Amino acid sequence: MAQRELSKGLWAAAECLRSAPRPRCEQSIRCARRTFFPPTTRCFATTPARRVGNDNTQVLEPFNAAPPIDFSKPGKKESKNGLLRTLRVVPASPSYFSAKPTFNDDIVNLTALLRKFATLPTISNAEAPKVAWKTVDQYRIMTNEPVKTQRFHKMLHIVRRLNCIHPQLMPEEVTQAMLRYKKASQPGDQVPAPGVIDEWGRARGVGRRKTSSAVAFLVEGEGQVLVNGQSLATFFARLHHRESAVWALKVTHRLDKYNLFALVSGGGTTGQAEAMTLAVAKALLVHEPALKPALRRAGCITRDPRKVERKKAGHLKARKMPTWVKR
Amino acid sequence: MPPMPPVPPPLCLKGVRTRLAVPTACFSTSAARFANPPPKRKGTVAPPKRGTRTLNVKKGKSGFTQDTGKRPVQGERRAQRKRIVLTNDNALEVPSLKDLSRSNALDAANEGRVMGFPADVVDALRAVDAFKPTQGWSLFRRPAALMRKETMQLVGLMKEVEGAAKDGQQRKTIRRVLSGDRMSGKSTLLLQGLAVATLRGWVVVNLPDAQDIVNAHTDYAPLPKSSPPQYTQDTYTANLLHQILKANGAILEGISVTTNPKLPLPLPANPTLKNLVELGMVNPEVSWPVFTALWQELLQPGRPPVMLAIDGLSHIMRESEYMSAEFTPIHAHDLTLVRHFVDHLSGQKSLPNGGVVLAATSRSNAPTSPALDHCVKVAEALQNSPDNLPRWDLYRNVDGRVMEVLKGLQDPKTTDLDVIQAGGLTKEEARSIIEYYAESGMLRHQVDDGFVAEKWSLAGMGNIGELERASVRLRM
Repeated sequence: MAQRELSKGLWAAAECLRSAPRPRCEQSIRCARRTFFPPTTRCFATTPARRVGNDNTQVLEPFNAAPPIDFSKPGKKESKNGLLRTLRVVPASPSYFSAKPTFNDDIVNLTALLRKFATLPTISNAEAPKVAWKTVDQYRIMTNEPVKTQRFHKMLHIVRRLNCIHPQLMPEEVTQAMLRYKKASQPGDQVPAPGVIDEWGRARGVGRRKTSSAVAFLVEGEGQVLVNGQSLATFFARLHHRESAVWALKVTHRLDKYNLFALVSGGGTTGQAEAMTLAVAKALLVHEPALKPALRRAGCITRDPRKVERKKAGHLKARKMPTWVKR
Repeated sequence: MPPMPPVPPPLCLKGVRTRLAVPTACFSTSAARFANPPPKRKGTVAPPKRGTRTLNVKKGKSGFTQDTGKRPVQGERRAQRKRIVLTNDNALEVPSLKDLSRSNALDAANEGRVMGFPADVVDALRAVDAFKPTQGWSLFRRPAALMRKETMQLVGLMKEVEGAAKDGQQRKTIRRVLSGDRMSGKSTLLLQGLAVATLRGWVVVNLPDAQDIVNAHTDYAPLPKSSPPQYTQDTYTANLLHQILKANGAILEGISVTTNPKLPLPLPANPTLKNLVELGMVNPEVSWPVFTALWQELLQPGRPPVMLAIDGLSHIMRESEYMSAEFTPIHAHDLTLVRHFVDHLSGQKSLPNGGVVLAATSRSNAPTSPALDHCVKVAEALQNSPDNLPRWDLYRNVDGRVMEVLKGLQDPKTTDLDVIQAGGLTKEEARSIIEYYAESGMLRHQVDDGFVAEKWSLAGMGNIGELERASVRLRM
């Protein structure tokens, strides 16, 4: 009798899992009759799933779980199976007996969501808000399940499709569900403090290159340039370095609109000149933020991260090896 | 010692070794020693002749280190280095270029214009070595220079010197030191002064490079009856007289000798100044007495004003390379020519017929002369920010003689010694000179405000040498 109960329960669980995407048919077998837990508090993995992110807010398929075991109620003493009758025989999740129950649940939930909101108008993928999704490794750590990369990407495909729903019609339910798959910090979250023009009309910018660093102060003027108190021609003997130093102004045709005072230190002349490029560009962006695309095209925004490579033990230089000698 | 066993000949040994495969050692080296020396290898050839190309990258004894290059003729390199090219046939003639002339040389309306030098002035300037090889004269059709703010300042001073004559009193002697950044046009400013002086009929005496006076490349001798001892440089002085004659021949020919100079050699009858100079020119041993006699003549009333100029001032503001009999360095001020110039610069001697004493400093070829640097800085600060004067660094050795000479720089109001700062050009001046470059065909770019402003900024706020470098010399 007990064995029959148990196998029935298992079968029901399997049945639930299999028939999840389809509309629910009437249950013909005996299984749990009531929903005891609100779907939001379900936690049923056999492995201790970490509650990372927004686990408790996920949207779940309606599912009838067995009532929890109540040991306080005395079972029928006459029957051998009295205790078994009090046990919950249907697990909280239909995926309970699969290898990756959380992952399966996620897929099931996302598919249900997509089915629910499939008719909402969408925008193209390029126009959709830029989101940094969790990597497969991060997802594995969150669920503690050996999710295959390909499967994970199939799931992300659904998430991306949900992200393409028109932002004005985006249901709150979907927004909440997507939170689970987003990285903790999104691009554009950290906005640098906007530059200010001080009481003297100066905008300040800092730039670095190699081991040099430069601070540039830009005021409106007629094109005078002083570097460490010297004129540009005195400080940079090479014409190329002079052009590098004021490149941001030159390329935007602002050379005769501003006066520039710069303090540079460290490194050699090339590094100092190119550190000034960045510093001047940043100071110029404070005055005219709209120039950013032009300056980026001119190569004045991105910091060149290259530095001298360190020397290694056993090498003559960073990479050079001593000459190979037989014996 | 037991008798040595007979040594089988090597051939035999070889046969034994191969046949029996028993290792045996040869204990004697006498056979090898007494053998005939090995014949020279057949394949060797004679070493390559001098001048042929061989590839031998080895260094040291075994390497082939003979120099195959042809030596330049003596003096060829120096001539190459000092060559002055004043014309460029490939540059276009600028139709709008006007020449300086006697009438318009002192005109204030010239400011900001590029003015050409007439041919006779170019000859005179070339005679006094006013053109420098590093200047960009060889880029353009013919010599021309921008009349910039500082030039007009200098021209104004010359006008002042000439104008004072009308009052009938002694004319002014104006002394100026030209200072400024590297490539800011100090030497060209000096040249413009010399050109205007030539046009206005002044006597031009130019010491083209102070380095040549003090670097001990010419002979020197103690001046008799001088105490403390002074030293004359006869060859240099004779050459200087030659330059003076070439530059001012017409003027000197028209003036006859009125004083009765005591010279070791006789002058012709009714001598003119030209005869006097020629005497010193061909007889270097009397060149210094002739120079002093010439100067005395020029100081007589009714003679033209004098332009006395030197380039590279800091060379004569220190000890020279010459050595005294006690083998101590001779101070540059003990050389008679330098002494002569320095007396006029310091105001110890003046020019009664009026004149300008000009001294251009240099930034690229300048030995350290702390006293000169300090005095120039003080004079500049007096013009720019009088409340914040630099102080002498007490831990530096002061050259007292130089300080004494340049004392006037610290008080320009009373002594007429001051600095002219050759700074950057204004944007209008820069536009004028860039248009001249473009008209000469040396700059192929549309000259508009943006272009001028860009070059002006890149040239360090209008430094004219850098402007030329950026727009003409370093064309992309």
